[in-house]
Amino acid sequence: MDRHLTVIIGAGPAGLSAACELGKLKRPTLVLEAQDTVGGLARTESYKGYFFDLGGHRFFTKAKLIELMWRDLLGADFLCRPRLSRIYYNRKFFYYPLRPLNALLGLGFWRSLMIVLSYLRWQLFPHQREETLEQWVTNRFGKRLFETFFKAYTEKVWGLSCSELRAEWAAQRIRGLSLKTAVFSMFAKPTQTIKTLIEEFHYPRLGPGMMWQAAKEKIEREGSVVRLNCKVVAVRRNDRQIESVIISHDGHSEVVEGSAFVSSIPVNEFILKLEPRPPVKVLEAANGLRYRGLLVVCLIINDADLFPDNWIYVHDPEVRVGRIQNYKNWSPDMVPDGTKTSLGMEYFCTPGDALWNLPDAELIELGKRELERIGLALSARVEDAHVIRAPHAYPVYDSEYSKRVAIIREFLDDLENFQTIGRNGLHRYNNQDHAMMTGLLAARNLALGEHNDIWSINTEPEYHEEAALEEKAVEEALARIFTRLDRVAFGLALGSVAGTALFLVTAFLMLKGGDGFARNLQLLRQYFPGYRVTLQGSFIGFIYAFASGFVGGWLFAFLRNAMMFFSMAWLERKAQRGLMRRIFDFL
Amino acid sequence: MIDEEKRLEQIILTRLARLNAKIHGLVTGMVFGVGLFVATNWLVLKGGKSVGRHLSLLSQFFIGYRVSFLGSLIGFAYAFACGFILGYSIAWMYNWFADKRDGKSK
Repeated sequence: MDRHLTVIIGAGPAGLSAACELGKLKRPTLVLEAQDTVGGLARTESYKGYFFDLGGHRFFTKAKLIELMWRDLLGADFLCRPRLSRIYYNRKFFYYPLRPLNALLGLGFWRSLMIVLSYLRWQLFPHQREETLEQWVTNRFGKRLFETFFKAYTEKVWGLSCSELRAEWAAQRIRGLSLKTAVFSMFAKPTQTIKTLIEEFHYPRLGPGMMWQAAKEKIEREGSVVRLNCKVVAVRRNDRQIESVIISHDGHSEVVEGSAFVSSIPVNEFILKLEPRPPVKVLEAANGLRYRGLLVVCLIINDADLFPDNWIYVHDPEVRVGRIQNYKNWSPDMVPDGTKTSLGMEYFCTPGDALWNLPDAELIELGKRELERIGLALSARVEDAHVIRAPHAYPVYDSEYSKRVAIIREFLDDLENFQTIGRNGLHRYNNQDHAMMTGLLAARNLALGEHNDIWSINTEPEYHEEAALEEKAVEEALARIFTRLDRVAFGLALGSVAGTALFLVTAFLMLKGGDGFARNLQLLRQYFPGYRVTLQGSFIGFIYAFASGFVGGWLFAFLRNAMMFFSMAWLERKAQRGLMRRIFDFL
Repeated sequence: MIDEEKRLEQIILTRLARLNAKIHGLVTGMVFGVGLFVATNWLVLKGGKSVGRHLSLLSQFFIGYRVSFLGSLIGFAYAFACGFILGYSIAWMYNWFADKRDGKSK
């Protein structure tokens, strides 16, 4: 056994990031990948010179470390691309958040009116309890809009009725433009982060696989090994450690030993490969985890330009396709011939269901038929096609998943030389950058003895210490800006200062003598009857000025609080508008 | 994250603002100082028979102040100092009163 070898199972973003980091820290690794290419869910498939990305991977991160890694790996091949994605419904394109004129023209007057009325009705009388996704969305957008734009698409993606999907899932996972962000945007120009998310993104010239191929080459240059077509069939363990893995390669079995093991394969598969088998409770938890699969029917079409979007969401319930990628709009080099267009018709399904089991030829026919039906291109223009299947594309968050993951985690935490990483390794709907971060931190745990909690890395950048501090500072700043002024306290303060000031000015003039300024100051009598530039007058002046200052201060604080409230209400509304984009991007 | 948003809302809705006395003082000082500087120079530029008859009464408090360009600079310094003291005092007293009232409500 190589006492220093780290065995990484899975050459996706998480596994390769871990290997890159270990290479940087001079630790040898062996990466085992079951497929014939690297990248995992972020791989790029090629067919006759066309490149196909599974699901469309925007390269966007708030983590500087990840951003640097991407730039370092690809240099000039890391393109900055404009973003356009719309909803395609009833043969019309809709922007989201909805633009009034676009919606009016697309939906027609009566339907638009009904949507507005429905929105108002649900704003005034919302569901008292938000238990399901349907109730959650309805309370925010109204029933009509939910039925028009949310229902069909959500059910296509998750294969569950919106009344079965839990509201907490949406509340945790889908957020609008947060109040904090909206508030910030009020004071400064939209940050680069917001701009990037909405208007542009980075993308490798030949798709995400190009990034992971570059990572593989880097790992190999540093002396580590990446072996493709090596499927791990069993994992041998004792009570506290993983001892070795058995791999199948070209029909042969091989035992691979190492000092540490990292896995990014679906955590339920990993559990089922363990020898001896884990306790029944853990096996049951593993068997209960579910995944949503992705079928991509790649069509090569003999048309130069079909639509300008990078991808479109297809909400029409009469077709099964959920999303369509237009790869040349992601990067022009994704197609070898500019007079052609390659589309990815994406079908969300569950591995083993009727759609998943359809032969490729039938799936291609389905894709062509639906493309024509929704009016984007004629099926006769399709000159070639190809099918890609990703069985573990999305971990499903059903009502039991968190309990199951907790049981598995408790068991895996006892294995001292093992860490599970990545989207499927953690059964967490992480983006690519978060998956990479799990790999990087796992590598640091191994090589530097750090104690990063991989499971705590969520879909937000809080795992990043800097970002967490920044958030805290933002919160502090916002609390300072938006908290209420105490009207009485402000009135008392202004009254006290005004009263004291008039008292001192009066007393000073009285002591100094001369009637130049005093005569003018006494004009205050017009408002403060009885006031004189005398000792007695200075006390009377104090009372008057105190009272005036109190009233002025109280009113100022009242108006300031009221204006702040309206400003916040406006920001809340703005945040709600941002919600729609987030929902579809997340789904 | 949702909890965090809720917490922020909770803070905004329930907590009372505190003012930064130094900043308040500086801002008030600047407003007073610039105000007097502009008012003085406005009268100087406007000219006329008796320039700034009323404004020059401030020299009772601001020794050396005149309605002239040099006077406007002196006035700026005086008004800034007075404004700073007033602004600082208002903020300090506000915080003091707010602390008392906050303590009472808890």
